[in-house]
Amino acid sequence: MSIEVLTGVLLACILAAFALGAPVGLALGGIAMAVGYATWGEGLFNVIPTTLEDTHFSFILLAIPLYIYMGQLLTRSGIGDAMFNASQMIIGRVRGSLAISVIFVCSMIGAMVGIIGAGIMTSGSIALRPMLERGYNKRLALGVIMAGGGLGILIPPSIPMIMFASATQNSVGRMFIAALVPAAIIIVLLVAYVVISCKLDHNKAPLDKVPDVAPTTKEKWFTARDGLLSLILIFVVLGSIIMGIATPTESGAIGVVGAILLAMFFKRLKPRMVKNAGMQAALLVSVAMWIIFGASVFSNFHLLMGVQNMVASFTQDLGLSPIMVIIMFQLIMLLLGFIIDEFIIVLMCAPIFTPIAVSLGYDPIWFGILMILNILIAVQTPPYGFALFYLKGIAPPGISMLDIYKSVAPFVLIKLSVLAICMMFPELVLWLPNKVMG
Amino acid sequence: ADHNWRFANLYGRGTAYGEVYEGLAKNIEAMSDGRIKVQVLYSGEGVGTTGILGAVKTGLISMGAPFQSMHAGELPAGLVEIGLPGGTSDAAELTTLFQEKGWAPILKKAYGEQGLVWLDPYIQPAVYVITKKQINSIEDFNGLKIRAPGAYGKFLRNLGASPVSLAWSEIYTSLSTGVIDGSIGSNMIDHRDGNHVEVAKYMYPLPLAGAQVLPIVVNRNAWNKLSPDLQAIVSAATTVHAREQMTKSKLWESQAVAEMQAKGLQWSPAPSDADKAAWKQAGAGLWDEYSAADKYSKELIDVLRSEAN
Amino acid sequence: MIVTAIRGYCLGTHALVSFIGNSISYLMPVLAFVVAFEVFARYFLNSPTIWAYDLSLFIFGYIAALGGAFAQQQRAHINVDILYNTVSPRIRNIFNMLSFSLAIFFVAVICKMSIGKFEEAIEFNYRRQSEWAPQMHHYWVMMAVASVLLALQLTSDWLEECYHLFTGKNLLPASLRNHLEETPND
Ligand code: NA
Ligand code: NA
Repeated sequence: MSIEVLTGVLLACILAAFALGAPVGLALGGIAMAVGYATWGEGLFNVIPTTLEDTHFSFILLAIPLYIYMGQLLTRSGIGDAMFNASQMIIGRVRGSLAISVIFVCSMIGAMVGIIGAGIMTSGSIALRPMLERGYNKRLALGVIMAGGGLGILIPPSIPMIMFASATQNSVGRMFIAALVPAAIIIVLLVAYVVISCKLDHNKAPLDKVPDVAPTTKEKWFTARDGLLSLILIFVVLGSIIMGIATPTESGAIGVVGAILLAMFFKRLKPRMVKNAGMQAALLVSVAMWIIFGASVFSNFHLLMGVQNMVASFTQDLGLSPIMVIIMFQLIMLLLGFIIDEFIIVLMCAPIFTPIAVSLGYDPIWFGILMILNILIAVQTPPYGFALFYLKGIAPPGISMLDIYKSVAPFVLIKLSVLAICMMFPELVLWLPNKVMG
Repeated sequence: ADHNWRFANLYGRGTAYGEVYEGLAKNIEAMSDGRIKVQVLYSGEGVGTTGILGAVKTGLISMGAPFQSMHAGELPAGLVEIGLPGGTSDAAELTTLFQEKGWAPILKKAYGEQGLVWLDPYIQPAVYVITKKQINSIEDFNGLKIRAPGAYGKFLRNLGASPVSLAWSEIYTSLSTGVIDGSIGSNMIDHRDGNHVEVAKYMYPLPLAGAQVLPIVVNRNAWNKLSPDLQAIVSAATTVHAREQMTKSKLWESQAVAEMQAKGLQWSPAPSDADKAAWKQAGAGLWDEYSAADKYSKELIDVLRSEAN
Repeated sequence: MIVTAIRGYCLGTHALVSFIGNSISYLMPVLAFVVAFEVFARYFLNSPTIWAYDLSLFIFGYIAALGGAFAQQQRAHINVDILYNTVSPRIRNIFNMLSFSLAIFFVAVICKMSIGKFEEAIEFNYRRQSEWAPQMHHYWVMMAVASVLLALQLTSDWLEECYHLFTGKNLLPASLRNHLEETPND
């Protein structure tokens, strides 16, 4: 079977499994093993042990349990709510204000973590319920979390950027700085979208009800104090990275310890709370890791069969104008996001595409940022996207995948437009690193 | 083709080393007149860096270029083979050690026990440590937190440093924020690719290992399916490959150093004789430990011992 | 009679998987503590441990793998439920029976390979490649156990779906699930 036919078969199997509503990770693994058995034989089963070791012994992925646990502790102890209560006290009269606070908090979480899963599941743990409880439109709430929590790979430190820089021999520092302006543009556009769409449709974000009895100064003081303390926790975690105390992965553990200390201070540390937080976190970790494992088995099989050669040969002799080549690369990566995870896209495409882009006269850092933006979009475009799955994992039971698909649409459009803007105006990406690093 | 092989290595597609392995694959195809077809798998393409040895063992891939430090838990003798800290960097001396002093048969047995065929090894350049602060004398290593796995970590601990375990993709950030004070790279090219010089400027002039010897391994069943002439062709191709690794590595190493120097890399001052002695001492201390851990390691180190006397 | 036996099997599986699911939740604080301790030892005591790195990865792997059966029991594994939500309950039974069969095949392969790796690990004394060099065999035992548990739970769920398909009745009380519903500020 040629690799093109095999890719088609695999794709058809994925769509069939999706239609059946099969568990994504187990289905991907099952499809790979079944198709692999038919085309390769029993020897293919040996892909399981190496993939298991790769997935479970990846220190980078350790951010997922640590940050999810921190998120669960924060939300169950009420510390997360305290943060949003305080922000509401200040800007509560602005329609959509809570969603705006969520965008900022998610961006800060994004600044801590370097991978997508940790950012989205932590943001979702903390911020989803407060929005839904206040009557926010669920699509807006889900979309905001996906859009903000996914920024982890665009706001430094970012693991995919480090991988890109290493695969293409470019400066990591330059990548990190180059990402700042596009990240800021995305945040501004997200906030603008929330403000405008809530203005146009008041049902999306109800204003906070004015309480029957106005809060006393003492109550206000407590709200402010609790909010400030929880904000400090975020700064402590960020600070532990910046001051060189912990790596971005380890900082999640600092966050857990901080959350426990804060809960003690708030007198909310009960054995039941710790137990339930641990249970929910373990469940989410397992769900995320079975998806990552199943998807890795699937993509490892596909790679062993040579899909990367198909992509490489496809990019040769395109006979297109330079900018069309760049656009073509973006399309290919968006399509690959359909079946392959963020790290593999970078590992596979960075060395194939970047030299071509450079030979056409484009700046590699600029191209790298386009690639990161692209991945950010690819992981949240239906039907297959890790960000979508993570969000579904964290969402309450009533929310279906269709809700999630619909919720991401406007935010994907925003990110696509930022991708297009950065493509048209390379200065937006290159100005800051050139200014800072010469 | 009569034989369809998959050949995995640790390097990225398009990297200089990746092309040398690509060259080996092409050579096998050409020399066998297309009877063996070799598909090269680069870093992350189906098998993870720590999975290469296991994947060749099971036959998931037919041939691999593993990096033995990653497999210290599966095949401890590989650590001695790659070169314990403080070992020689002299290529001729290493070749004698393998071909005449008896390392090759020991390793053939050690790998053979796990279903692997051990083919001619090749030599890759030295392992150096890069630090954020200048190292003026060996005492300056005291208390430094240095990312160094396995044997290199033990070696640096003997010098008073604190070895740290970190994921490769967190080295850059950790050097930049100060979680660690230094890091080893598997060679100068690794330091360059990891952009370490952006966040740490000083390279210590003494290498932790003067040279690294790495094997090409083949799955035994895949090997046994080859006719004797094809086996000879694959062996011959690996010999050509070993030579190419040697000449090109030297060139690339100097290029990597030049590129890093252009970005501000400096060498720490030349070590004193006392420093050199302490450095050698730190390495020699490891022999007993590794000897005791594994029978094949012991056999290899016994050869070293009889040489030293 | 047969139904009673099947129900017994399913209830037994539920109890076992719940127990394991509950137990691994205690590993979460342990994991955070191990990583936090490494940070503390490295930064404040200036003596990084040789064990925290591998230990944290082992705990991570245990949580990730062993939680799979519990996630299946809670029907927490992610699925794309677009068509699934629109079909009748009996069609949904068929859908689930198909996808659970595929999943059982996958975990059966995992189990087989893990047992093979366990035997190899014993024969060649496999360890982690770190300086601490802990044994690997227990990880492969755990993987075999995790996949057996997942297979048990999947079979139990398959039987449940099958029973509902043919009788239109629930095999097990609904209260078995959903004991994890959101309890804000608990
Ligand atoms: Na980040
Ligand atoms: Na996608």
